[in-house]
Amino acid sequence: MSITWFVVLSAVLFAIGLFGVMTRRSPLVILLCLELMLNAGNLALIAFARGHGNADGQVFALIVMVVAACEVVVGLGLIVAMYRRRMPIDADAASELRG
Amino acid sequence: MLQAYLPVLVFVALGVAIASLFASVNRLLGPRRPNKVKQEPYECGLPSDVTKSFRFGLSFYMIAMLFILFDIEVVFLYPVAVQLEAFGVFALVETAVFVALLMLGFVFVWRRGALEWK
Amino acid sequence: MKAPTIDYLAFAPILATLGGSLLVIAFALARASFVQRVVLPGLALVSIAVAAAFAVITWETGDQTTIIEGALAVDALALGFSLLVYAAGIGAIALSLRSEIARDAGRGEYYALLLASITGMTILVAAENLVTLFVGFELLSIPLYVMCAAAVRDERSLESGLKYLIVGSVGSATLLYGLAMIYGATGSTDFAGISAAIGTGVDATDPLLLSGIALAITGLAFKASVAPFHQWTPDVYEGAPTPVTAFMAVATKIAAFGVILRLFDDALLSTQLQWGPALAALCWVTIIVGNVGAIGQSSLKRMLAWSGVAQAGYLLAGIVVGTRLGAEAVFFYLAVYLLMNIAAFAVVIARERVSEHGDGLRSLERLGEASPWLAWPMTIAMLGLAGFPLTAGFFGKFQLINATVSGSYESLAIAIVIGSMISLAYYLRVIAVMWMSPREIEIPAAPGRASRKVRPAEGWSPEAGAAAQPEVTAVAVLCAVLVLAIGIFPDPLFDVARDVGSSLAGFL
Repeated sequence: MSITWFVVLSAVLFAIGLFGVMTRRSPLVILLCLELMLNAGNLALIAFARGHGNADGQVFALIVMVVAACEVVVGLGLIVAMYRRRMPIDADAASELRG
Repeated sequence: MLQAYLPVLVFVALGVAIASLFASVNRLLGPRRPNKVKQEPYECGLPSDVTKSFRFGLSFYMIAMLFILFDIEVVFLYPVAVQLEAFGVFALVETAVFVALLMLGFVFVWRRGALEWK
Repeated sequence: MKAPTIDYLAFAPILATLGGSLLVIAFALARASFVQRVVLPGLALVSIAVAAAFAVITWETGDQTTIIEGALAVDALALGFSLLVYAAGIGAIALSLRSEIARDAGRGEYYALLLASITGMTILVAAENLVTLFVGFELLSIPLYVMCAAAVRDERSLESGLKYLIVGSVGSATLLYGLAMIYGATGSTDFAGISAAIGTGVDATDPLLLSGIALAITGLAFKASVAPFHQWTPDVYEGAPTPVTAFMAVATKIAAFGVILRLFDDALLSTQLQWGPALAALCWVTIIVGNVGAIGQSSLKRMLAWSGVAQAGYLLAGIVVGTRLGAEAVFFYLAVYLLMNIAAFAVVIARERVSEHGDGLRSLERLGEASPWLAWPMTIAMLGLAGFPLTAGFFGKFQLINATVSGSYESLAIAIVIGSMISLAYYLRVIAVMWMSPREIEIPAAPGRASRKVRPAEGWSPEAGAAAQPEVTAVAVLCAVLVLAIGIFPDPLFDVARDVGSSLAGFL
């Protein structure tokens, strides 16, 4: 089976993730969409690794999984910290810094 | 030469088309009965206004976040397991160092009281 | 397959900062005041000093090699950029010593994150492999997201942390997708393998490869704040605690340009005809957008952020040409940029702690009379950033212009000159505010909100001025003196830059 369809699927996932990051207001949903983008990259890596018949892409994908988890945990931590300070949890309302 | 770019064009067009299809099909087909709760930024049902009386389950989030981290780190043991025969003692030492570092993280989290259920 | 052999001496600089980070975390559990105040920053400084010493020792041997199965390069480029990052780290620690930020966030966590970020930067500039590149990139970024939010009691700091995390992660994901496509096109994650594949098996105009390069440029441009991917820069720089801003402004740029240099002028050099024009366009846009944005900013941190965007444009010109001269100019300019920016941020920190105007331009009013030890470094830093002769900034810009002209990208030389002319408008205004009486000049109105309330740390009074924070003044003065010294005797730094440039093998 050709890897083309896996790559196309990964491009679609990446596009959906990017679209979500740009349009959603809740930081939690934005974090979900970021995960989608990173995992689209993972899918592409694994598909290409299959296509080339070497394992480099798979090792890369394993490392990306860990990195993605770290990023999300830091994001969640920041959201929790904002929540505790009773700040509005809304990416649009977070506009103290603008200009 | 320009023909070489045709797959890219198709690729981008497919990506954009399918993404916007998925993003808009909900709006086109789905029933729209907006109410106050649905308009809130937390689509997963958490209240977005914190009232004075609201008790935030901080411990829940702390444990969940720490769980994700320690859980996902184990993925690094997978490649070692696959290549155990080839690497021999080196793999053993690497794994020991890796687990020791995780232990340091665990001790730090524990001593700072992040595991206490308040 | 057999276990990799690791040259631990060559790996030592990275291990030193990483080990330092772990030690700091372990010591942070001790609550004693002496440990918190003296041992933790001391440990951080020592580990950076050890790393720098190992880097110099390795550099002296003159070897150009790769370690850990070709994952990391040990050459003058990696070591030179690492040393710049170490300098930025030492500066950041000195500026944080008496900052209440480190105390609020927990000193252990603060210094450990700083060291982790430094480790990420040194891995990034040494990366010889797409996997190491991504790991370094993330190890640099994730600690910085947390450090931006380190002022846990300040909502603007938390907000800047979250904003940086979201924008930075979009950049990371884009970079990752680009790297995946480059891997897909060439079948190799090694820089050597990629550069060997292009031209033999893979056409330089291969669509998959070019899409990958485009996405990788985008991802790296986010981190280096190259326009049009710079919008986060002023907001995050303003919201983050100032010592963190100083570190981020300088060290992130060094690391980002270090890796751009290696990726584009080494692995992808044979596709220079394809990415050159694209980067040149970004370079023009960045120079204009950055310089125009900086005019009219009333916050010094925002002004320095926009100026950083403009400087990223100048630096990009050195990458575009894809010559050894360009690489040398980029290194030289980054070294100079480091000194000028640390000097400027040190003065901002010193004033922010005592002035009611916070980091506003007005906090510098009449600084020339009040504390010349702060006013002179700021003056020299601003003149240097504007590229005046007798400062190091002049030679920096001269080198870049020289590289663009001899690389037949004359239009970029024009962009640099035009940008420098626009930049006089805001750099000279800072100098005017310090040395002229308030009636003679017009200061833009403060923004609508009240400036951040600054609670000076214990034992300070505004009157005590510069004397109360000797380490901040010392950093400012030292950097300013070096800017002047390099401006008058640039030869030693030229030699170092030549050494760094010579480690990129692809150039003729």
